Amino acid sequence: MKRWFHVTLLIFFIVILSSCSGKAPLEDLTLAFIIGIDLDDENNLVFYELNPVFGEGTKVGIETYKVKAKTIRDSRRLFDALTTGEVTAGKIQVLLVGKRVLQHGDWFPILDTVYRNPTFSMSTRVVTVDGPVSEVISHHPTEKPQLSLHLKSLIDKNYDRTRAVKGTLQELHREIYEKGMTPFISEVKREKDLELSGISLLDNKGKYAQFLNVPEATLLLMLQNKKRREVTMTIPVLPNDGEKNIFHKNMISFAASKVKTKIKSGYKHNKFYFDIKVKMTINIVERLFPEERLNKEQLTKEVENELKDEINDLLKKIQKKKVDPIGLGLYARAYQYPHYKKVENNWGEAFAESDVNVSVKIDINSNGAVEQ
Amino acid sequence: MIKYAKNQITFMQYIFLIHGVQVGVGLLTLPRELAEKAGTDGWIALILGWLFSTLGSLIIIQVMKKYPNGTIIDLLTHFFGKWVGKIAAFIFVLYFAFLGSIVFVREGLFIQFWVLPQTNLFILLLLLSIPSYLIVRNNITILGRYAELVFFMTTWVLFFYSTPLKEAHWLHLLPFIKGGWEPILAAAKTTTFSFLGFEIAFFLYPFLQKKQKASIGIVIANILTLAVFLIVTIVAFTFYSPDEITQYKEPTINLLKIVEFRFLERLEIVFLSLYIFVISTTVLPLFFSTVLSASQLFGKQDHSKYVVWLLLLNLVYVLLLPQSLGGNRQLQKEIESISLILVYVFPICLWVYLWLYTCLKRRVLK
Repeated sequence: MKRWFHVTLLIFFIVILSSCSGKAPLEDLTLAFIIGIDLDDENNLVFYELNPVFGEGTKVGIETYKVKAKTIRDSRRLFDALTTGEVTAGKIQVLLVGKRVLQHGDWFPILDTVYRNPTFSMSTRVVTVDGPVSEVISHHPTEKPQLSLHLKSLIDKNYDRTRAVKGTLQELHREIYEKGMTPFISEVKREKDLELSGISLLDNKGKYAQFLNVPEATLLLMLQNKKRREVTMTIPVLPNDGEKNIFHKNMISFAASKVKTKIKSGYKHNKFYFDIKVKMTINIVERLFPEERLNKEQLTKEVENELKDEINDLLKKIQKKKVDPIGLGLYARAYQYPHYKKVENNWGEAFAESDVNVSVKIDINSNGAVEQ
Repeated sequence: MIKYAKNQITFMQYIFLIHGVQVGVGLLTLPRELAEKAGTDGWIALILGWLFSTLGSLIIIQVMKKYPNGTIIDLLTHFFGKWVGKIAAFIFVLYFAFLGSIVFVREGLFIQFWVLPQTNLFILLLLLSIPSYLIVRNNITILGRYAELVFFMTTWVLFFYSTPLKEAHWLHLLPFIKGGWEPILAAAKTTTFSFLGFEIAFFLYPFLQKKQKASIGIVIANILTLAVFLIVTIVAFTFYSPDEITQYKEPTINLLKIVEFRFLERLEIVFLSLYIFVISTTVLPLFFSTVLSASQLFGKQDHSKYVVWLLLLNLVYVLLLPQSLGGNRQLQKEIESISLILVYVFPICLWVYLWLYTCLKRRVLK
């Protein structure tokens, strides 16, 4: 009797097991690898989707779709109507956002579903496209690996060399909500080839504010203490008096083995001030002028001055647009809390008015393998 | 009184049972709840909550020392008579059954939301009920071993939290005590509830082998719990911006979304599946206390029959009433005030009474 009871129970439980019915073979899925968001000429939202094609009888391993939809979730309905398999969002590698979308200040809420729906991956890289998204998404040169792979490694490689930001959905979310800093994401454009052009700075609502080219991006990342594996810079240290300016005999390149930025914040005369001290240990990897022209002390001084000027230019640039991608607001909050609390909701303005004092200290570690 | 001597628990099992009951579903939402009340100073509130719970725990042990060979119900029966004992047993049955059931349902709701969105909650709970039955129907030794095993099986998950720590912004924690002590005290109210669960000592005490170590054991359990809470909270506070963290319902799970390996994505699903074990060490001892109280209420030795009834009732309840996370949380809020009385007020009163009682008795005897 008891045995029969157990057997019946077992059969009952096996019957109600539900997890095995909804299997999904890879061939039947349409894995979106890239999602693009853009505006068309009449300011309608357009969504792009790129997915690989698995299965026999397909020639090109990739397909792209374009739909007009109202929201991201709504676009899935339209993609489903076009693709072979069910469109799945869990593997999105790159999210392309057209610059024209970013120029509207209230674009960020359209990403809502990405954060609300737990199936979305948080490490999707968000990238601005300077120009129409369609040009990037339809870029499939035969000599390059598949676009999603290419774009992702393009960003990751430059991220490792301290030239770009990963700008994952997670980071973007943090930067948008954080009142003491403004968001920034990498920017690409397509001329003849797809190229990483720099960083887009957004204001605290997410509206496009300023563009930084790659050298400026490196400086910005250094100020944020985000040196990755390598920092290399090429800067002029002498006035260029070469013949006809073909060969830039005033340039020097160095790799920084150590970058340490110390930021102090204070409050004086009704405004904030920041003391930024950058300390670098550098190895010279390229020097186009002979050593006689500058001795070590002079060279150190020149590099320090040049870097200081560049950082000051960068600061002026961002202060003009009232954005704070460095996150100085975090320092203001940590050390000047009562003052910060008052301007918290308008940090950009408060930052634009504040005084920033930069000093750079260079330590030349090595001159490379050649004399002179 | 020999009935508790048969199956005993070791010192370690005692620690992990108490710690297990304390760490449960609450941890998943804890960082957000703290941030809502006290911003990034929430972690200070954790230490305050820990102080309260340690004090409460020590008082419970002091009370239990007065009658070392029985549960709280035996103690009350001994000092106040049979009927008080029965009423107390009844209250404890209700309290632990409700608490256990709330956590049990919440566990199911979390699994449904994060891992198996298309599966019926009833089926999830039915499947969870089977192993629950198999464990709770046994004696306390089995439960103790289970708690110990689960602790060592799941603690390493904390190492995953070192990945978000790489992108930590320690500046978020400064300045300390930004808004004064008021918000911190408000958050301390929340953390006091997070540490609840040590009241299980009312029922564990008679089973403990070395009773002289009861106090130190419960303090260690509280410290372990504090460590787990602090690690997760500080990682969440440094990783998420203070303005951002309240956007996430369960930051403890969201934190793991950024951990990705080449061969594995969506680690939070793996984590949550493992976390079922952690939650089970909350639910099972609560259910065990329920059925133990019930068997004492009806004067029976064997409690395994009540386990079936408890789990069935629970399933019927889930089947008949629609469950939601919001409703579940509301229920928990309501039971929290009862907890406060049962865990802090009741032991203190009892302790003072017993102390006076023994004093007077001694004087009378003299």
